[in-house]
Amino acid sequence: MIKIKDLEKYYRTEEVQTVALNKLSFEVKEGEFVAVMGPSGCGKSTLLNIIGLLDDPDGGSFEFNGIEVSGYKERQRANLRKHNIGFVFQSFNLIDELTVFENVELPLIYTGVKPAERKRRVEEVLEKMQIMHRRNHFPQQLSGGQQQRVAVARAVVNDPKLILADEPTGNLDSSNGNEVMQLLTELNEQGTTIVMVTHSEHDAKYSHRVIRMLDGHKVTESLLV
Amino acid sequence: MIRNYFKIAWRNLRKNKIYSFINIFGLAIGMAVTIIIGLWVHDELNYNHYFKNRDKIAQVFQTQTFNGNKGTGSAIPRPLEMAMREQHSDKFKHIVMSSWNQPSYLEYKDINISKNGNSMQEGAIDMLGLKILKGVKDGISDRYSIMLSASTAKALFGDEEPIGKIIKANSQYDLKVTAVYEDIPVNNSFSDLDFVKPWDLYANSMDWVKRSIDSWGNNSFQLFVQMNDDQTLDDLNKQIERIKLDAPGAEDTKQYNPVMFLHPMDDWHLRSEFKNGVKTGGRIEYVWLFGIIGLFVLLLACINFMNLSTARSEKRAKEVGIRKSVGSSREQLIRQFLGESLFVVVIAWVLAIIIVLASLDGFNKLASKAIEFPWTNPSFWLASIAFVIITAVLSGSYPALYLSSFNPVEVLKGTFKAGKLAHLPRKVLVVTQFTVSIALIIGTIIILKQIQHTKNRPIGYSKEGLIQIPVMSQDFLGKQDIMRNAFLSSGAAIAMSTSSSPTTNVWSNRSGFLWEGKPDGFQEDLAWVEVSPEYVSSLGLKVVEGRDFSREFPTDSNAVLLNKTAVKYMGLNDPVGKLIRSDDDGEDEPMKVIGVVEDVIMQSPYEPVKQTIFVFDRHGNASYYNLRLNPDRSVSQNLETIEQVFKEHFPNLPFSYQFVDEEYAQKFAAEERIASLASVFTVLAILISCLGLFGLASFVAEQRTKEIGVRKVLGADITNLWMLLSKDFLTLVAISLLIASPLAYFFMQNWITKFTYKTNISWWIFLMAGMGAILITMITVSFQSLKAATANPVKSLRTE
Ligand SMILES: Nc1ncnc2c1ncn2[C@@H]1O[C@H](COP(=O)(O)OP(=O)(O)OP(=O)(O)O)[C@@H](O)[C@H]1O
Ligand SMILES: [Mg+2]
Repeated sequence: MIKIKDLEKYYRTEEVQTVALNKLSFEVKEGEFVAVMGPSGCGKSTLLNIIGLLDDPDGGSFEFNGIEVSGYKERQRANLRKHNIGFVFQSFNLIDELTVFENVELPLIYTGVKPAERKRRVEEVLEKMQIMHRRNHFPQQLSGGQQQRVAVARAVVNDPKLILADEPTGNLDSSNGNEVMQLLTELNEQGTTIVMVTHSEHDAKYSHRVIRMLDGHKVTESLLV
Repeated sequence: MIRNYFKIAWRNLRKNKIYSFINIFGLAIGMAVTIIIGLWVHDELNYNHYFKNRDKIAQVFQTQTFNGNKGTGSAIPRPLEMAMREQHSDKFKHIVMSSWNQPSYLEYKDINISKNGNSMQEGAIDMLGLKILKGVKDGISDRYSIMLSASTAKALFGDEEPIGKIIKANSQYDLKVTAVYEDIPVNNSFSDLDFVKPWDLYANSMDWVKRSIDSWGNNSFQLFVQMNDDQTLDDLNKQIERIKLDAPGAEDTKQYNPVMFLHPMDDWHLRSEFKNGVKTGGRIEYVWLFGIIGLFVLLLACINFMNLSTARSEKRAKEVGIRKSVGSSREQLIRQFLGESLFVVVIAWVLAIIIVLASLDGFNKLASKAIEFPWTNPSFWLASIAFVIITAVLSGSYPALYLSSFNPVEVLKGTFKAGKLAHLPRKVLVVTQFTVSIALIIGTIIILKQIQHTKNRPIGYSKEGLIQIPVMSQDFLGKQDIMRNAFLSSGAAIAMSTSSSPTTNVWSNRSGFLWEGKPDGFQEDLAWVEVSPEYVSSLGLKVVEGRDFSREFPTDSNAVLLNKTAVKYMGLNDPVGKLIRSDDDGEDEPMKVIGVVEDVIMQSPYEPVKQTIFVFDRHGNASYYNLRLNPDRSVSQNLETIEQVFKEHFPNLPFSYQFVDEEYAQKFAAEERIASLASVFTVLAILISCLGLFGLASFVAEQRTKEIGVRKVLGADITNLWMLLSKDFLTLVAISLLIASPLAYFFMQNWITKFTYKTNISWWIFLMAGMGAILITMITVSFQSLKAATANPVKSLRTE
């Protein structure tokens, strides 16, 4: 599903040029659950942003479902993204002005789903995430774990083929963290491909495969299952 | 999707109350100002729209040259009519001679009222398209007939049938009422046409009018025309240009090189100023001026919107990032933010309409207009929709483009600062805003100063406690001595004189004189006022050479006084005793200069005093009684007594009078109206700018809450912090001042050239405007700065 070859990404500031990704190559097959690990600053988030089509690589190739997308225009990327990819962030990133229901509904709105259908699907996923009773609350009124569940609900409501999670448990205590990992595992079992960045060896155990990075390139790859 | 946007917009508005208030209220004021100005401009541009033939109606104007100076006016000689009819009747549907609009007493049974109207030829009715409510369409074909406006008929006859009734005009003629026409609405020429009398009656009543039938030199009448539909103004102008110059019998006037032309009705109201024979504009300049001010005020309000929206961008950055990460395209975000701005603009527009409705009456008073809210005018609503959309796009597009351009990666990572990129445009906007405000302040001060400067000119007589009574009807002929004695002995007046023009105007100009030392080919043009011997003393004129008129000297019936300007103008070295003759070698005795008086402002206070000759009135040519009220009694007492005396002698005539100082003040009305409108708009512009500044300051303070907290912990005191937060804004205002000053100077310097008596544009105006702007900025910004600076640092540090 994801095929990355010699991917490069630089950040230029006035004095220095940082190499965030250095000739990074790997593949992720459909249905896999991959964890990406590495020390802080090694380029994990950068990688995830590129895979998530939020950012452009500076070199190398990136095939998504067999199509080369590294040269895509913003509009094309947005289009591909909204139909195929769901995001889960460390800091949840819910819109404060929208309720739980409305936050989860957003991706459906952007893909043009009809209101009745939207309602049905949002309720279904909220039910699944056990957050239905909070549907009319605003994010500030929820605990961290609840917020992250809403964020996961939002990421999956569109039935994306790929979920990208950047330290999804980073802001949560261990029980809430486990709950979220459970959710991701279930989703994976239902066929969703997952790429997750994490600092926690514990969380990494939920995945099939761990990619370890250092200074922008892959150092090891270990199969867990 | 729309509903979702709407929800976010609404919740955002509610969450940030101050911001929403500033944004909506500021925008509403800006829009209200623009709407009101729009209504005013519309009203001005629709002047004379009552006349459906307006694009074919014109008045014949004349440009003549005196000593190289071209003067243009509407007064034309009587023979012009016949010349036009003989040579060009095939090109005109109507050629209509007319008198000036003059008051007339109209008497029916025991009702006697004074009304204004013209004596006109028959074509006038069809040309103006008067709507006949009762009676016949050709109501002035008979010499002894009269047509009345509906309100005049009502005043005279009440509910009685007016048609066929006989009324007495000026106690002289019995006229039969033949028709009643609909009042011509205000905002049209001829709106004071209370009646129309036959030209024929006018032309055959007074001797001087009769005599003028073949006098090309007597420019005392008006001529209106309606062109045939196939004629164009330019063509006709070419054809009639030389009509007077080439006319047999007009040889005497050749030296003034008379050029005739048509002044179209569409230009009467807005483009009626002529300089050196060329149309230079007129009121249209004010239409432009206010139109531009209106747009500027709207721009200021839009700038607030843009500024506040971008200032809030950091708060909304996260939303943009999230939306992008869940699949929103940039176009969708642009649409969202434009939609939000449309939403706010619509709310502001509703509020603006409410403000307009609430302030229209006051505005009408200020502008002396009768503008109504155009509820039923579809084009108003269409224009409103266009206006709302344009405003929404204007104010929303920058924030929309800016906000939607955020990079989601940076935003979500939290490293995003709406720093550098947003700051420059925001600064430019604030500078623009304050440049406009400061320029308006400077402009308004200069207009006010010019008016004050003109008001401070010495007018040469004492206008307080002076009234004038119009006495232009036959009834008053030969009564002036009786009346003077009666008024004086009543104790209500301490002096009375008569004059052929009111104190505040000159109705007659003469040329054709000879005097010793007159330069060859000199074409004099003298203001001519016939006065009774008490004129100088009753008005308080100052005799600077020679002596005043006196009843003691029988020879004074040929005496004249000159004003100082006339002495200089005529080149008289030793004026007293000089003789002035008429050059048509008539048998009249020459006039003798017995004295010189100080210049008196009778006409425009903005222009130099005209060379004037005050002539001993031996024909009883009085148009006004000038009465100096008794200062020892109250004004109302005096007026009551004067009315009684008047009624004793003229029981059938209505008594009317004017205070001379009020008449004089009228001369400033137009400019004062402009000044008060400009002041109001300036205050509103400043208010809008300050609202914006206030909002911006509060956001900056909010953004820097953490920084302020840290600085306080490190030992900064309130003054340091206040300086820190206010400095930036003060710098911007200072830059605005630097831009606005030369701009305002340039425009006002230009405006002020139209006045001969100019005030000087002194440096203190700029200083004052600058200090004012800085003071206002400090107050506005300090409120927020101090609030932030005095906040508890522990609390503000916790907000992160
Ligand atoms: N906008 C940017 N400008 C300059 N350098 C950047 C930018 N974003 C990231 N970097 C640099 O790129 C490198 C990779 O950053 P990235 O955020 O991908 O690291 P990470 O592996 O996610 O770290 P962490 O585990 O702390 O989240 C770092 O050295 C970082 O300093
Ligand atoms: Mg990271």
